[in-house]
Amino acid sequence: MEEKEEVIKVTNLTKDYKNNRGIFDLNFTVYKGETFGFVGTNGSGKTTTIRHIMGFIKPQEGNVQVLGMDAWKDSCEIKKNVAYIPGEIAFPDLSTGIAFFKAQAELLNLKNMDHANELIKRLQLDPSANLKRMSKGMKQKTAIVAALMGDKDILILDEPTTGLDPLMRETFLELIKEEKAKGKTILMSSQMFDELETTCDRVALIFDGRIIDIADINALKNADSKAYKIEFIEREDYLKFKKLKFNIIRDQEKYSQVTIRIEDKKINHLFDVLKNYRLKFISEVKFNLEKHFKEILQEKIKGGENVQ
Amino acid sequence: MDIIEVNDLTQDYGHGRGVFNVSFAVKEGEVFGFLGPNGAGKSTTIRHIMGFSRPQSGETKVFGLESFHNYYKILANVGYLPGEIALPEGLTGVEFINMMADLRHCKNTERLDYLLDLFKLNPKIETKLMSLGDKRKLAIVAAFMNDPDVLILDEPTSGLDPIMQQNFIDYIKEEKKRGKTILLSSHIFNEVEATCDRIAIIKDGRIVSTFATNLIKHNENKSFEVFFDKKEEYDRFLKTLPKAKLKMEKIISYGVKSKNDQELKVEIACQDKDINKIVGIISDFKVKTFKQVKFTLEDYFMQFYREDKDFGGVEWKKKKK
Repeated sequence: MEEKEEVIKVTNLTKDYKNNRGIFDLNFTVYKGETFGFVGTNGSGKTTTIRHIMGFIKPQEGNVQVLGMDAWKDSCEIKKNVAYIPGEIAFPDLSTGIAFFKAQAELLNLKNMDHANELIKRLQLDPSANLKRMSKGMKQKTAIVAALMGDKDILILDEPTTGLDPLMRETFLELIKEEKAKGKTILMSSQMFDELETTCDRVALIFDGRIIDIADINALKNADSKAYKIEFIEREDYLKFKKLKFNIIRDQEKYSQVTIRIEDKKINHLFDVLKNYRLKFISEVKFNLEKHFKEILQEKIKGGENVQ
Repeated sequence: MDIIEVNDLTQDYGHGRGVFNVSFAVKEGEVFGFLGPNGAGKSTTIRHIMGFSRPQSGETKVFGLESFHNYYKILANVGYLPGEIALPEGLTGVEFINMMADLRHCKNTERLDYLLDLFKLNPKIETKLMSLGDKRKLAIVAAFMNDPDVLILDEPTSGLDPIMQQNFIDYIKEEKKRGKTILLSSHIFNEVEATCDRIAIIKDGRIVSTFATNLIKHNENKSFEVFFDKKEEYDRFLKTLPKAKLKMEKIISYGVKSKNDQELKVEIACQDKDINKIVGIISDFKVKTFKQVKFTLEDYFMQFYREDKDFGGVEWKKKKK
């Protein structure tokens, strides 16, 4: 297998805030060009982990390496390659969005504002607005532009879509996919499973400061087959259908309803069969990261009870 | 009886920002949803209702009292959850809750304990150490602990995890049953769909649509995407199936809703009752994949969100040395 370059490497990272808060013995690696998602309940430790990666917090135990450098000791050097959107936004005391972007451009040593202006246009942001009077969504957009305008190789995004309206969320996810296509390495936390599902290669579930599972999205989406839920009007049809050799993954007798999994290339066969039946409905059951993680969590909780 | 009234409210911040001739009313016991893109004027309207800003023209009333001059009286019986939460520094959650209880002259420990348990908040932590979600939970508890009759909620679940979002939705439904009047602004469609009786959509500072949620809920519309391998099959399919007739997002007759020549993709709109006909037609074709596209409230609203404005960017001027 080809050697993958490690961009972010978190090793045995621990920070105990007491009262069962903090993060405990975290281990994961984000490889070059990968989009890595981070999901978990409020207070589970997503932001704490991200702040360690950014070098804002010194680890109690373990360490974080970014591009082979220590996140805490070499944070200045690392930041030259990293764009960051914090979970809670606090702007400097400047008048307008424009003033802020100019200050940011100077910091970043940017030669022109073309990319920034492109971002401003796509996010439908009015940069002439007073920075303090901006609505929450506008502030979030401003933070996104400020982070992405520098065209850095590594993007670290702490709940970047909070407060964005659905259309802007869509636009933002498109931007992320474009950044990914450019080969950027991205770490992104979110409360929205669907967001991570559509953008990430892998997603880590963090719970009570511990990583419970890391899901490989591409493998899980199982691109070659789909699940369909079919409900029949006639009981006989339902019974007859069940005798055929379809892979039934769920059977709800009460509703004369089955869920089958079928390879995409066999879909024509399914339709050939179904045209002889009276259907109430047919719908696709999509892969769902939320369901996947819920099952894992439930198993975990059950398993824990058994041990005790 | 109208509990919240907004009459011809205008506040012009210049550059097209602000709210313009906004009017609506929320009846007693009603849950009213307030939707719109970022910067459309949701928070501005809500802040006027709370009496924090003086209208340029028009007025807002709560319990029949004009907001700006009676904001103390109004606040006593309104639970307000701001869109952006700023907590005083150096306090623990408990200290903040006690401070708010003193300010509001209320001591409803039963309600307080209920809320702390419902939202799984440990208030003993210093607010500085709280995560964004914890801070939101603290604000929720502080806003509702005196069990007010009116709840005004500005994007209440942004920053909450999905479990807490669900808890919050359940809480709103519970409060609705108890007869509370609720105004809720949100971007999250399923939370609006699940809780609101009526919805107003605001865009560029103006109300563009107001309607009852029932109208678009429970629809039997379905949308399917069919992909083909071969162009001939794709073309033949397009010839076979009629064009869908739609009126105000309602399906009059099933058929092709859109097509994509590059992807060889056809989108079909139909109702549950048409499904057998559709399956019958598809079975005559060589299909690559077949997918359902869910029609939701979200699809309906998205049409109000789309826009393409040019605000202008940042002009780059090289500094003279």
